[in-house]
Amino acid sequence: MSSAPIRLSPDTGSSGYWDAARRNELALPVCDECGNLTLPPAPVCPNCGTTAPRWRFTPVSGRGTVRSWTLVRNSFHPAFDHLVPYLVADVELDAQPGLRVVGRLLDEGAEPPRLGDRVQTSFQELADGLTVPGFVREHT
Amino acid sequence: MSTRSAGRQVAIVGYAHSRIERRSDRPLGAITVDTARDAITDAGLTVADIDGFVSDPRLPSVGGHEVVDGVSVVTSPWLAQTLGADARLAAGHVGYSPITSSVIVAANALASGACDYVLLHRSLHNPAGRYHAATSPDVGGEAQWTVPHGMVGPPVGIALPYNEYILRYGATREALAEVVVEGRRNGARLPWSYWHGKPLTVEHYLSARMISDPISLYDCDIPVDGVAAFVLTTTDRAADLPHRPVVVDGYAKGMPVAHRPQGLLVLDDMMEAGFTLVNRLWEQSQTGITRDDIDVPQLYDGFAPLIYVWLEALGYCGVGEAHEFVRDGRISAETGLPILSGGGAIGNGRMHGVPQMLECYLQLSGRAGERQLDRAEVGLACHGLPLYGGAVLYRAG
Repeated sequence: MSSAPIRLSPDTGSSGYWDAARRNELALPVCDECGNLTLPPAPVCPNCGTTAPRWRFTPVSGRGTVRSWTLVRNSFHPAFDHLVPYLVADVELDAQPGLRVVGRLLDEGAEPPRLGDRVQTSFQELADGLTVPGFVREHT
Repeated sequence: MSTRSAGRQVAIVGYAHSRIERRSDRPLGAITVDTARDAITDAGLTVADIDGFVSDPRLPSVGGHEVVDGVSVVTSPWLAQTLGADARLAAGHVGYSPITSSVIVAANALASGACDYVLLHRSLHNPAGRYHAATSPDVGGEAQWTVPHGMVGPPVGIALPYNEYILRYGATREALAEVVVEGRRNGARLPWSYWHGKPLTVEHYLSARMISDPISLYDCDIPVDGVAAFVLTTTDRAADLPHRPVVVDGYAKGMPVAHRPQGLLVLDDMMEAGFTLVNRLWEQSQTGITRDDIDVPQLYDGFAPLIYVWLEALGYCGVGEAHEFVRDGRISAETGLPILSGGGAIGNGRMHGVPQMLECYLQLSGRAGERQLDRAEVGLACHGLPLYGGAVLYRAG
């Protein structure tokens, strides 16, 4: 590919997440005041209201529970043109009740998950230098 | 009247609606000026009478389309100036709140005496190219929490809570087919609708291509060029005008309930916001209207599954039951609960809350023609999803 299909511009509020992903780690922002995880980090902590949350990206468990999924058949961004159709899961992370994130299901030839399926974070290089956290099914 | 009715009462006294087209060969501003002039005439007024302009000018696409006032959007200041009006107020809420915020601003401006006659308009444009698609590889800001994960644009966004609903409650595509077919059946009867004369069959719905499972093509309203305009004034002034006024009886605005990555919609968030909004709506009715008083409930269907959220939030059925409620003719405009009698977004095109407001106005003013419902004294227009949208109660004046 001559030009990058996706060009990420991390900022001070996100570079901790993307740097960790490059090391195959899931790191989420923790409020310095109340210790709650929040995604995305915000100017004011949505949990405790502090205006100085001083978000710290901390490694967390990448395990979680599938709350929903969709099979994306139309690519709405050039980075995904060659990947459609692909599964995106809405996952509630074990790291904190109610904390929901989205991620692609990276299991090869994955069947659609069922409600409540257990997943864990896995990583895929979507473009040069851009590693993105996704999920794979846990085998019990 | 309860203590909620601070200031003067406000009513809709006239309207106009352009033809809804997939892509017009005329600039949106030109269509808007024609429609605004028609609405003012319909209300028995002239441009010189209109001293307030209110709109939500947002172009609700994800795709970096250029926003040009008078071409791809039409703001109230642009419209006031172009019409040559002597405006005292030109205001607009820009956000994801189809119509509700405009009605709230207009009603309060009139009730307080900030202006005497308001033109409320909504102009929607379908830009060249794809409506929802990234036009550049660059991803930053809020989008970095969803786009690199393959979640781009509203159809993918709505697919997640809809599938959560399906997985929890066992809803089927056949059930949602009945919603979409009813919207299109009613839309087919509207001369201005993009879908005029084009009803949809269940079979055609079920064979449509999937966009982001379980969302299929006809679950999404179609992007269009179209304009609607309404004239509002106080009820004392309305008494001198040609049409039966339709009074704004109350309203409630939906509010987000959780901090989430942009575009990540969670079913429980929507229901929580919906119950809060509906309770507030009954509290804010000037005349104590509640669900069972409503003759013309117009529910929002910009994505068809939102009908389930509104039905359950309003308490027409229990949580998880809307997919059964909508079946077997129970939402038929003639013989059931007429939640889509005005065609909705699915039956008109992406008019962003206009069809629900317009149907309330037409039915309650007695101007719905051959579609006139037997009883139409109280109406409810729901707009958007409860997290960002809202709802307005109307009563015949």
